[in-house]
Amino acid sequence: MSELAAKGIVKTYGTNEVLHQVDLALESGKIYGLIGRNGAGKTTLLSILTAQNPATQGSVTYNGETVWENPSVLSHLCFSRELNPMTGNNANPMKVKEYLKIAETFFPYWDKEMAKRLVGEFHLDVKKRISKLSKGMLSMVTIIVALASKAEFTFLDEPVAGLDVVARERFYELLVEELSETGRTFVVSTHIIEEAADVFEEVIMVDQGRILLKENTQELLERSYHVSGHEDEVERATAGLERHHEERLGRSRGVTVLLEKGQKLPEQYDVSIQKPSLQKIFVALCGEE
Amino acid sequence: MNEILTQEKSIYIQIKEMIENDILRDILLEEERVPSTNELAKLYAINPATAAKGVNLLVDEEILYKKRGIGMFVSTGAKRQIMEKRKKNFYDDYVKSLLAEAGSLGITKKELIAMIRESKDGGIKNE
Repeated sequence: MSELAAKGIVKTYGTNEVLHQVDLALESGKIYGLIGRNGAGKTTLLSILTAQNPATQGSVTYNGETVWENPSVLSHLCFSRELNPMTGNNANPMKVKEYLKIAETFFPYWDKEMAKRLVGEFHLDVKKRISKLSKGMLSMVTIIVALASKAEFTFLDEPVAGLDVVARERFYELLVEELSETGRTFVVSTHIIEEAADVFEEVIMVDQGRILLKENTQELLERSYHVSGHEDEVERATAGLERHHEERLGRSRGVTVLLEKGQKLPEQYDVSIQKPSLQKIFVALCGEE
Repeated sequence: MNEILTQEKSIYIQIKEMIENDILRDILLEEERVPSTNELAKLYAINPATAAKGVNLLVDEEILYKKRGIGMFVSTGAKRQIMEKRKKNFYDDYVKSLLAEAGSLGITKKELIAMIRESKDGGIKNE
């Protein structure tokens, strides 16, 4: 069992601190979902975890060994970044097959057969230039690099952006397949939360440069409730519980409640109790000002 | 195992109930192998750990049992056991909510019983 651990990560760009004292431990053999609003610090965090970006403070270790400028450790990590059709001010002239060729030299465990199979499956034209690819095709390339890298810890930054529904479902199937066959770890950032919720064993919520929550997805869903009804009844039914994101309309009131271990919602009040989706929980937690 | 997952309940509970439903409908027979957690994970694009959680609940209830190195199998008597368990939960799962809704609509017990007696829906025998 390997572990990738970040301790006390701080990142500043100029005077702007974008990550504040982040601690995070990732275990092997899991699919993690990384969710957060735009600008929350997800991509910065991923790039620091994979030593593509130096932390201002703090350390990242793989089984206790430092990750920064450590080639033997870096061979176990892959950060498949979002591909950009532009490099600086110019259109990216590289062809897909050249890009994959570079990836092959970069990742020591590269699976050439798998890359070839996925290119075929996604109907990707490898002779096309990166600058000529659609958004969905760019995503396909990053997915192929991530999967074929065979790196033990693989990070994907919004891999499904621009993909159609069928391709997205296929992507999640591929992830689950790869996980059961190899026990690799995947960290996937996405804004399309609902369809990925069942794939994530654990969900990591990032908000304004901090880790708001890291928890088993099913357990989080189980302890979350939406309580609504007459404002007085809702108040009595949820008094003393962790409440988020209140909504009011006249006398009616709705609130999202996260129960702690051993807590239960009282049964004697006349309120509606519903199960919120992961997306709703995320909005309740991260949509607060 | 071809029902669709919904948002209403925890995924592992749904996996557990789907296997139970398949046993009740003779889609899965006693002493037959059930799909592995990896097969279930792939079919539904869910995390294998979640699929395993559902399957393990059925192992705890002895509806499934594990053959080392081969997989999970349906126990002898599993169908009967599921029916008995669901009968036991029938009041909590169905009758309670029926009575609550009837109560808020002002339907009397007498009217409700008459409704049930005259109903031709479902495959329930009269005695």
